[in-house]
Amino acid sequence: MKHVLSFTLNGAPVDALVQATDTLLDVLREKIGLTGTKRGCDTGNCGACTVLIDNEPVNACLTIALTVTGKTVTTVEGLVEGSELHPLQKAFHEHGASQCGFCTSGMLMAAKALLDKHPQPSRSAIVEFMSGNLCRCGTYLEVIEAIQAVAGGK
Amino acid sequence: MKDVGYFAPSEIGETLKLLADYGAQATVLAGGTDLVPKINCYELKPENLLYIGRLGLDYIKEKDGKLVLGAATSTAQIAANELVQKKATALAQAAYRSGGAATKTIATVGGNVANASPGADLACALLAMDAEIALASVRGTRSVAIKDFFTGRGETVRRPDELLLEIHIPIPKGKTVFWKLGRRKAKTLSVANTSVHLLMDGKKCVEARIALGAMAPTLLRCTQAEALIKGQTLDITAAEECAARAVADSAPIDDQRASAWYRKKAGQALVVCALAQAADINN
Repeated sequence: MKHVLSFTLNGAPVDALVQATDTLLDVLREKIGLTGTKRGCDTGNCGACTVLIDNEPVNACLTIALTVTGKTVTTVEGLVEGSELHPLQKAFHEHGASQCGFCTSGMLMAAKALLDKHPQPSRSAIVEFMSGNLCRCGTYLEVIEAIQAVAGGK
Repeated sequence: MKDVGYFAPSEIGETLKLLADYGAQATVLAGGTDLVPKINCYELKPENLLYIGRLGLDYIKEKDGKLVLGAATSTAQIAANELVQKKATALAQAAYRSGGAATKTIATVGGNVANASPGADLACALLAMDAEIALASVRGTRSVAIKDFFTGRGETVRRPDELLLEIHIPIPKGKTVFWKLGRRKAKTLSVANTSVHLLMDGKKCVEARIALGAMAPTLLRCTQAEALIKGQTLDITAAEECAARAVADSAPIDDQRASAWYRKKAGQALVVCALAQAADINN
């Protein structure tokens, strides 16, 4: 049996027909076609699929899609405001905080979750909070600098 | 392939009825951080998912000298809760170190216990606090001491028609601490972990409870090691002897995170550190 999933995605209501075992990541990428959220490990280890559910960071690959019924989901596609990049996106671009870019959308969403709650985190708080997001190219220093720049209002 | 059923009841009575009807054919889903990777990797094919995130079981309250945690309380909530930080410190520490930010949002304390991983961080702290597990079914409710709850790796005394409803923690009289060693500093599974509860009278140990994780098919309560220090003066030498006793009966495995040999060494060192911190030994 398929189930109807209704939730709010990047500010707009959506419905999708899903299987009970589909994850939010499956639904975002394969049913709705938003491929900005990446599938890395599919086991909650790498953070590439980080999205926000009701403003809290979550691994979309660990989330059974039907559990977000009635909730609000924000993905990297929801960061832009009109034609303007989000300040974090600008800072990541300016600081070269990505190389291949695969981890970037998850990094951005985790960073947004951090700054929304703690607008001026210490460097160690940034490192600690971002520990769930792996970057195989090793851009960690640039990621930290980009987040610090946004926190510092630059 | 048969489609998997999905239930997300909003009432506990309805949930228990579903569990009574489906028993082992219903897989309870809370946060899913342990369950969903198994589904994604085709290790587990559930027949029905029973989601318990809409039952209002996410609460932390103090009642009759106990802390009561709803089974679906997230590890992020527990780590940030002032009541837990103050009265069950080791549990807040274990929750804080249990995973990354994105996993802690959804991972639950009930799942950490019910999943019965030998290295479960929150369950390790709960074991040192003599927590009680409240199980509910259509037949009624019962309470099981956490030391009797785990029967093997991934196995517990929970019957297929029972729901893990709450965790009750008698507020510890002494100091509780939690230590863990992982492959990296944060967002890591435990190579070994330990939680210690000590009630001290000056330098004398009045009460001791020591839990050790990732060192056997289940979490271990080290009662023989506890007996070594109870009623005795606890200095660094006594702590070292106690730690050696604690790991003596462990039976860790070799796996991708560490060898059994390394786990024993690490577990012993962690117990020394935990005892020294809980007893304020400066050495």
